[in-house]
Amino acid sequence: MNKLCADIGYRSLIKYGEQLCGDHVDVIGQGEDTSTIVLADGLGSGVKASILSTLTSRIISTMVAEGLPIEDCVETIAATLPVCSERQVAYSTFTIIRLIDNREAEIIEYDNPAVILLRDGKNCEFPKTALSIGGKTIYKSRIPLRENDIFVAMSDGCIHAGVGMELNFGWERGDIIEFLETLYDVGFTAKTLTTILLDECYKLYGGQPGDDTTACVVRIRRREPMNLLFGPPANRDDCNKMLSLFFSKEGKHIICGGTTSSIAAEYLHKRVVPKLDYLDPEVPPIAEIEGVDLVTEGVITINKVLSYAKDYLEDNESYTQWSYKKDGASQIARLLFEEATDINFYVGRAINPAHQNPSLPINFSIKMQLVSELSDCLRRMGKRIKVSYF
Amino acid sequence: MKITVCIGSSCHLKGSRQVVEQLQALVAEHGLKNEIELAGTFCMGNCQNGVCVTLDDRPFSLSPESTRPFFENNVLPALGK
Repeated sequence: MNKLCADIGYRSLIKYGEQLCGDHVDVIGQGEDTSTIVLADGLGSGVKASILSTLTSRIISTMVAEGLPIEDCVETIAATLPVCSERQVAYSTFTIIRLIDNREAEIIEYDNPAVILLRDGKNCEFPKTALSIGGKTIYKSRIPLRENDIFVAMSDGCIHAGVGMELNFGWERGDIIEFLETLYDVGFTAKTLTTILLDECYKLYGGQPGDDTTACVVRIRRREPMNLLFGPPANRDDCNKMLSLFFSKEGKHIICGGTTSSIAAEYLHKRVVPKLDYLDPEVPPIAEIEGVDLVTEGVITINKVLSYAKDYLEDNESYTQWSYKKDGASQIARLLFEEATDINFYVGRAINPAHQNPSLPINFSIKMQLVSELSDCLRRMGKRIKVSYF
Repeated sequence: MKITVCIGSSCHLKGSRQVVEQLQALVAEHGLKNEIELAGTFCMGNCQNGVCVTLDDRPFSLSPESTRPFFENNVLPALGK
């Protein structure tokens, strides 16, 4: 296993007045380091386009992931897609990005705007081979991956944003490249970059997208381990075992929970110094322990992180909150969503008798529920999660 | 003199933020910043009686409503005011 991994994010804007999106993105992972991403744009819009693009991306991602040659995939699509009764054609453009062992990217493009590669912050045009399959011209390329490479696949809705409204000729590929280059150094996650790009498209369309608009960002980055301790062990005799495992791991260390942090401080022979600043009225203040990267309260803070995580996977609107705020939940959100790629949860199953009060919304089963929901969300963000219970 | 307020989960839900804010305001109102140190702590293991507050080492159980009486009846006399 090499040190690289892929951060993948995508989102779509639906054409104004439609309820279904005619673009579709599918991501299929095989093993830990190989994944296939397909962005398909179906002919037209609405239901028909949605069916075409969903079928296309599903068929291609499944076949490519199984290692079948691209020629077979294209033939299968041509033979399978239902023919549009108005236009007498069955048609869906697509872009395939296949990451092999996180070493190499294979890119296959058919009629979507060409994939943008930003390398070291600059646009990098890569060599392509043209193939003719069933009368269609398909471009294929293979690129060895480097840390901090950013690939951007788009549907034509992006480059047509603002045609005849804000701009004469739409937002051309060159303009999009310039726009992305200015954002490169900030270190945004793939999902956030996608959101920023689509927000710009939405603005250019004047809030009424004239076409389904989709962007998919793949960011190649170094693996970053992170460890989070939550709750004291069910059996207090296991404290040392749990803490020595936790502190022996590489990467940053986050501790959530009042009692938990006291135990950890005792283990480290340090003091817990809680702060009294309420930076977010809903989230209890954080604390400091020398040698620990972040110390927060437990259930309430994690609950807030979970709500951020759910939103991140949907509309990513609360990004404007957690991206800069200094309260415990925002700090955890930044560490887990942006910085970490491999997260180890150390969860203690101790039951805090004081919390088993029916009038409090923080009992034991809620805590376990939080852990499983949060780890599930993080998995859907493409992170590797390991949960150990004590 | 040191006043410590629990900011653990349970006390947080019972209003420790309001207690802290009121204490901060009361300390400022009486000009006692040099005499009184306000601090936070995580769970004191006495959640049933939250919000848990200690005045030096004496335990008290406060609520946002009882913060001002607590300050006037316990803190000020202890300082001889």
